[in-house]
Amino acid sequence: MTDEGPRSIAPADGTAADTQGIKIVGFLCNWCSYGGADTAGVCRFKQPTDLRVVRIPCTGRMDPLFIAKSLIYGVDGVLVSGCHPRDCHYAVGNFYARRRMEAFKAFLPFMGIDTRRFKYTWVSASEGQQWQKVVTEFSEQIHELGPNPGVRRQTGENSKVSTGLR
Amino acid sequence: MLETDRNQLHKLVEEALPELDMVIGWGQSTDSFQTTPVFVRDAKQISQLTLGPFCSQNLTGYLVKPPALDAAPKEGAKPIGICVKGCDSRSLVALIQEKFLTRERVRIFGIPCRGTVDWNKVGKLVDLSNVKSATVEEDVLVVDDSQTTHRIKLEEVLARKCYGCRYPNPLIQDVTIGEPATPRSTSIESSYRDVDRLDAKPLEERLDFWQSELDRCIRCYACRNACPLCVCQDKCIIESREPRWLTQRVGIPEKFLFHFIHAMHLAGRCTGCGECERACPMDIPVTLIKEKLNKIMEERLGYSAGLDVEAVPPLLTFNPGDTEI
Ligand code: SF4
Ligand code: SF4
Repeated sequence: MTDEGPRSIAPADGTAADTQGIKIVGFLCNWCSYGGADTAGVCRFKQPTDLRVVRIPCTGRMDPLFIAKSLIYGVDGVLVSGCHPRDCHYAVGNFYARRRMEAFKAFLPFMGIDTRRFKYTWVSASEGQQWQKVVTEFSEQIHELGPNPGVRRQTGENSKVSTGLR
Repeated sequence: MLETDRNQLHKLVEEALPELDMVIGWGQSTDSFQTTPVFVRDAKQISQLTLGPFCSQNLTGYLVKPPALDAAPKEGAKPIGICVKGCDSRSLVALIQEKFLTRERVRIFGIPCRGTVDWNKVGKLVDLSNVKSATVEEDVLVVDDSQTTHRIKLEEVLARKCYGCRYPNPLIQDVTIGEPATPRSTSIESSYRDVDRLDAKPLEERLDFWQSELDRCIRCYACRNACPLCVCQDKCIIESREPRWLTQRVGIPEKFLFHFIHAMHLAGRCTGCGECERACPMDIPVTLIKEKLNKIMEERLGYSAGLDVEAVPPLLTFNPGDTEI
């Protein structure tokens, strides 16, 4: 990610994204979901074009802060996908990931960030069809939510929210 | 009562000092009300030691921050004495649990705590620049600012963390000074009251709240430096160039990301001692961010940090049966 933030990410083939300019970042594990997405491509399943894929070695590598950074700077959606539980290439990576992502998902709204912009799922390398379904549904959900303004950049506005902190 | 406890502390430290490298405790600061950490190596310094509601600092950070001590004592090295309140003792448990310290490395002077004063709150009632003296009489704080004598109920000016404190008595200690204290809170609900209040607001208001609170953040990192469990020293990813998580930009997104990093790195480890919030010069409720994660850990995984030296922090392990935690 550059200093300009994820807004500067453009599709590698130089085509414009879609009309709304929606950008979704997908973190896919090398062994299952990346393969699943590949299968979907090889089978020529129609898929939404607003997903940018980042390949990770395993969902165990998935730092929830990748999601935080993306959403704070205005990425519209983050999709994490790995091997099904008990099917992890490294046996337990996705078990660690599941706890972290569940905790993170519960934490996000406390900071004012909509959890609907983040989803994690399990897709195996042979499940091209499942992948198509997951991406399409998530993309539709993000389109419904519209662009993510992220955290505002300008400073100096005072909040009107009173929380009654002790 | 404070006087008796103080004398007892002095006596116990005096007895133990020959076997110890030093004793870390609280002493009177140069102004007449705050305390400052003191490092007692010499019997002559013992009289500086004090205890009571002004002793707000969590001293356990000194055991692991630079100049850091060795976790395991070298051959013949003497243990280090340290004074802890209930909340501070949980930091010790966590540090021992994560092997930054061995239990033998420390001699713990446990001090049951009745709450510590938040001077920011007192400062809103009294002009702190003119304070002549400040004392505590039972549950009243008496502050003389050379014009008038203010009598303030202690209960109104405690640190925010104290109102939800379930463990005012040290959980790990070698000696105890004074009588056990009664916990202010005994339930999850009362401990996380502030979290629930913010959670009750609509999503946009929460974002608005944090945008405006964190806008004040000057990224001085005092909160991180004060945290006894932020132990990465010069490897902290907040300042590292490779990987480069944060830039020097001063926008709110950078501040958000900083606080996300701080909070996520403490998820399942934070004991809620409130040091980050106490250290913050901008009066930002920094601990509140971690309180939410603590609540998630407690409600969903039944885990509270700093209670058991044998336990494994929940995000460092898993259960194959987890679905939605
Ligand atoms: S914020 Fe994270 S990286 Fe930095 S010192 Fe704390 S735990 Fe370590
Ligand atoms: S101590 Fe306060 S101002 Fe400094 S970095 Fe932490 S939150 Fe920001």
